Amino acid sequence: MKITLVKKILADGSPCGKCGDVLAKLESNNQMQHIDETLVADERDNQSPGMLIAAKHNVNRAPFFVVEESGQEAKIYTVYFKFVKEVLDQKTSEKEELKEIMNDNPDLDFI
Amino acid sequence: MPQLLDVVDLDKTLQEQTPQEILRFAIEQFGNIAISFSGAEDVVLIDMAHKIDPDIEVFCLDTGRLHPETYQFIEKVRDHYGLYIDVVNPDGESVRELVQEKGLYSFYKDNHQECCGVRKIAPLRSKLKTVDAWVTGQRKDQSPGTRAQIPVIQDDKVFARENDSLTKFNPLANWSSEQVWNYIRTNQVPYNELHDKGYVSIGCEPCTRPIGPGQHEREGRWWWEEATKKECGLHGNNIDK
Repeated sequence: MKITLVKKILADGSPCGKCGDVLAKLESNNQMQHIDETLVADERDNQSPGMLIAAKHNVNRAPFFVVEESGQEAKIYTVYFKFVKEVLDQKTSEKEELKEIMNDNPDLDFI
Repeated sequence: MPQLLDVVDLDKTLQEQTPQEILRFAIEQFGNIAISFSGAEDVVLIDMAHKIDPDIEVFCLDTGRLHPETYQFIEKVRDHYGLYIDVVNPDGESVRELVQEKGLYSFYKDNHQECCGVRKIAPLRSKLKTVDAWVTGQRKDQSPGTRAQIPVIQDDKVFARENDSLTKFNPLANWSSEQVWNYIRTNQVPYNELHDKGYVSIGCEPCTRPIGPGQHEREGRWWWEEATKKECGLHGNNIDK
């Protein structure tokens, strides 16, 4: 299994706050060991590795995880807690997961 | 077949189509599909879908904090169309925990995300585990931001079952509020009486208020929160395949 983390650089060159939060969680929970590669999606450069992989998998947000296993279609996770639960098989707090979903998907306000 | 849909190419095609055409496509592609109904002007979806499939499944997220008018309206829609509406409730223990810890109005002190998470998103997630596709009334003009990214069809990676796919349709994405209301009036579709009292966007009672002329509908929801800039989207010039 290969796990790729894609983090983002904003159009003004500043790092993405949410990506920083997710990286901090990965570090503090000792989960970085599971990440094989980290790519940067630079909004100033559509040809940056992260932007290319986002286009390839039709992902329109960051950070996200690409999980590849031989002979299988790559799986994309845009929710950190879902990734942790389903890929790393670790327990997560449902409350935190729901908050992350709400924070990252403002369109859900209108459901 | 549904799992093989290329949603990117399809979105380009469906963007040019009417909400009715999009709904027809969605209903014909997916047998196990449901419409999410908020009890507001998204009733137009029910009217349109009912003309295509009178047995279309509809669900409603009852947060427990809706206006009495909204509950009455849900019943009115049920009677008017003769539909089964699945009214989905939050987990009682989770609500109890939230209220015990933070009170009944935590959203005025923190923000609305935690309460919405417990009362709306958790039951939504449970409901979506039972379907292959869902339909929402989301529109681009509901967001005051200029980066509104509401595709007509999307691969819903957030709520998909593990090792499975979920397709989300937003047939009204390109319609304006005015077009929705023209449809409601022309087709004599029943609507929530709160709209006659100045409410434009309707959600939970404590988090919804009427707005005045010229105000964006978002100003009638969570008005005490500062409009924070969301930055999770990828905003390159072109990230299409």
